[in-house]
Amino acid sequence: MIETTVQAIITGVMMGAIYALIALGLSIIFGVMNVVNFAHGDFVMFSMYLTFTIGTLLVWDSVQTPLLTVPIMFVFGLLIYYLIIDRTLGQFWVMQFAATVGLQILMRSAALIIWKGQPRALQYSIIQGSIHIGPFTILTSRLVAAAVSLIVIGGMALFLNKTWAGAAMRAASDDLGAASLMGVNRRRTYGLTFAIGSSLTAVAAALLMSFQQIDPTGGMRFGLLSWCVLALAGLGSLPGLLAAGIIVGITESLAVSFYDPRIRPLAIYAIFILVLWLRPKGLFGRR
Amino acid sequence: MNKSKRILSGRNLAGSIVLAAAALVPLVLGHSQYNMILATTVMLYAVLATAWNIIGGIGGQFDLAAGAYVGLGAFVTGTLLTRWNITPWLGMLVAGAVAALFAASVGFPLFGFKIRDLWYSLSSSALVEVLRVVFLMWAAVGGPTERYLGGSGSQLYRMRFGTYIPYYYLLLVMLVISLVLVNRIRQSKLGFSLLALGEDEDAAEVLGVNVRASKLKALMIYAFIAGMVGGIYACIYGYIHPSFFATDLSMEVAILGIVGGLGITWGPATAALIFVSMREFLRARLGGEMAGLYLVVYAIVLILVALYQPLGLAPLAMRGIERLKSMMGVKQRGITSAHGK
Repeated sequence: MIETTVQAIITGVMMGAIYALIALGLSIIFGVMNVVNFAHGDFVMFSMYLTFTIGTLLVWDSVQTPLLTVPIMFVFGLLIYYLIIDRTLGQFWVMQFAATVGLQILMRSAALIIWKGQPRALQYSIIQGSIHIGPFTILTSRLVAAAVSLIVIGGMALFLNKTWAGAAMRAASDDLGAASLMGVNRRRTYGLTFAIGSSLTAVAAALLMSFQQIDPTGGMRFGLLSWCVLALAGLGSLPGLLAAGIIVGITESLAVSFYDPRIRPLAIYAIFILVLWLRPKGLFGRR
Repeated sequence: MNKSKRILSGRNLAGSIVLAAAALVPLVLGHSQYNMILATTVMLYAVLATAWNIIGGIGGQFDLAAGAYVGLGAFVTGTLLTRWNITPWLGMLVAGAVAALFAASVGFPLFGFKIRDLWYSLSSSALVEVLRVVFLMWAAVGGPTERYLGGSGSQLYRMRFGTYIPYYYLLLVMLVISLVLVNRIRQSKLGFSLLALGEDEDAAEVLGVNVRASKLKALMIYAFIAGMVGGIYACIYGYIHPSFFATDLSMEVAILGIVGGLGITWGPATAALIFVSMREFLRARLGGEMAGLYLVVYAIVLILVALYQPLGLAPLAMRGIERLKSMMGVKQRGITSAHGK
């Protein structure tokens, strides 16, 4: 009993770190630009398929692919920003909803055309394997993924706090008007934010593809998962995001070990709805 | 006053002509099963989007749970028929009541905790997924395999017709009822309360609008209609399955409501006519060559409408009519859409 619990918590913590990374892009885009990106999960799905293609074509390991997928998703994010998102700014958020749902259908059907809608998985990654500590098993792929997630989230915190571009993003998030007066170029800052948010999904995708497969409907799952983590964390706190991801990961893992693997989405949505009811600003939100 | 009445009746006249034309559709398309499937699908979305207009368009609460109410309605109707041989004609009403009660029990705390805007949309969207999993795991009623509708009695009693035409008329009747309801609500106290709270909830509350009760009423009316549609849906397909709790359907209903023009009585039904038939046409044309290509075209049109017609299609159409009228020497009137910011 205790062993199962501890094992579930270990697994949950590691998955939670990855969940935080998945939600990171959404959190930055929503936090800085106040843009409701309903297609975020599909960015993750798309990145995962891209990882698959590059991994198979170049016979690369999943963990190598970010070298290519991150720049590709960065450019893709820039394009989407200037073509679609930029035009919806300052409009009623519902129009952003309509436009990003359109984007979601677009990406999902593109995945259907390019990858024939089949579930795809990569060959065994070099980080496959497991470590045994006493009665507990730690899957190496999850451990590496969690570690990389931590590093990327930490790197993002450094970027936001130490660089001019990061400061510009935070300033735009706090008060766009004042930030513009201080010489922050709104479009450039927003474009950069969206591109970073998009390229972060490529990192998450590489980690996810090292141990799981992807199908075109995966976007929906990752999308709601990201919103759940974001709702739990609140905006403006990266450690909070990490903590929220881990809470979601542990809850999910406990539900799966003690009840039924199929209950996984229920556990996530139960947290989501409870948090919205009890703490609408999130557990760790700055605002 | 006199003038506005005349215009109103003029509009109703135009609407009646359109509906009469819709009633004649099976006479023209009835010989082709495929065309009738198409017409029935358009009608189904038209009813759902028109009902969505009550909570989403007039009330400004962007509900994404249409799939939850449709699925519940399908399961209630299907289970009543299969288990106890209760006719879907009655089952549909029970389905509507169950969906409305469910909506109320979810809406009561949600509205009580003042969950709005994006967060209301997201939590209602999560509901669809939750119900899908619940019915997938609930072996007595749902489960992963399709449950074919049983029951004994005549075709009429079981609401199982060999053709789509009766379903089409059934949905057409529901569309007329929904349109009349939307029109009535728009001119009622409830409608004004909803419009006010959709614009600014706090301001509406200060002015004495019972925000929670108004939202709940609108949500229940919408869920009731969607639940009934779910009952018809189950009879059309002849089985029930947890995949009826569809997130895609929920999103699409909301999208139709939005691009049709928020709070405009005819908007969502028109949008359903244009978009759903376009989607199905593209599917028929392009589907054979490349699965998914039709959705690419559909998505691009959707994005373009969202970007360039932020108030939806209805104001565009109205502007066209106004221009036509002004060309013929009729004085211009203002064009309005609810919550068009």
